[in-house]
Amino acid sequence: MSWALHRIDDRLIHGQVLVAWGARLDPARIWVVDDGVAASEWERDLFKEAAPGIDVRVASVAEAAAAHAEEAGAPRAAFLLVRDLATALRLVDAGAEVQEWNLGGLHYAPGKEKVNDYVYLDEHDRESAKALLSAGARLVVQDVPASRPQPLGALDPAFAQ
Amino acid sequence: MSAPTAGEGAASPAKRVPALIVTHADLAQALVRAAERVVGTIEDVTLLSNEGLSRSDLEDAIETCVRDWREGGLLLTDFWGGSCHTCGSAAARRHGEVVIVTGINLPLLLDYLHNRDRFSAPELAERLQQKGRDSIRVQRGVPA
Repeated sequence: MSWALHRIDDRLIHGQVLVAWGARLDPARIWVVDDGVAASEWERDLFKEAAPGIDVRVASVAEAAAAHAEEAGAPRAAFLLVRDLATALRLVDAGAEVQEWNLGGLHYAPGKEKVNDYVYLDEHDRESAKALLSAGARLVVQDVPASRPQPLGALDPAFAQ
Repeated sequence: MSAPTAGEGAASPAKRVPALIVTHADLAQALVRAAERVVGTIEDVTLLSNEGLSRSDLEDAIETCVRDWREGGLLLTDFWGGSCHTCGSAAARRHGEVVIVTGINLPLLLDYLHNRDRFSAPELAERLQQKGRDSIRVQRGVPA
């Protein structure tokens, strides 16, 4: 069973992940893959306490890449969360095999262009996205299970085929 | 508003415990509007929505609201594990006397308003946790 959702979301663990995706897919484990969080004791604790009843594992990109294949064969569902496209690409470059990334929340910051209400990208993001697509992954924009999944290419002219 | 009357409580009245309500969408505004229908105009409560904010922007927005609380305060958020809670927790970490209560509801908010001049922030937080829980009750059909 294991991997049920690979999500790119700058909020990492939050309501949409726990309540909406969590109710739909019932994860036993959530991997928060982020070098910054993994290096900070209080941030690790913050996320580990955020999801009562779920085993939250905070890992660096290198640790997550090394554990990715084994986790894929583990019982019950697991989520993997990264905060941006660059981290997703680093994880793939480090050896994780991911067929589909859910783009769930990349919020506005200066220099980023609006793709929809919850996805804003800059050139750096688009370069990472293109590399992920070239590696054969699907990039699907969908904040919650109730909203319609759309390929990034259908929303952002930069990815038009 | 029901303020404590003269002579009530301890000899040295506690300072008012400030509150910041952080929620999804406009729940914070709606809760305060609803509370105002019950107790009249409400002052000294700050409201914030996470709408459209990244984790770091929400953290910064919360920190801006709480940084001037010299003697502590309460952060009231909608649910445990949501960004309002976890970002609040990150911001509160840098301000020792900020206490977070998750799962805000209308009875909890009303109890805060009635008691914010009588307790310290940690005491009030414990009280609100209990009040919020106690306010959720089930009534089955009453036999004729």
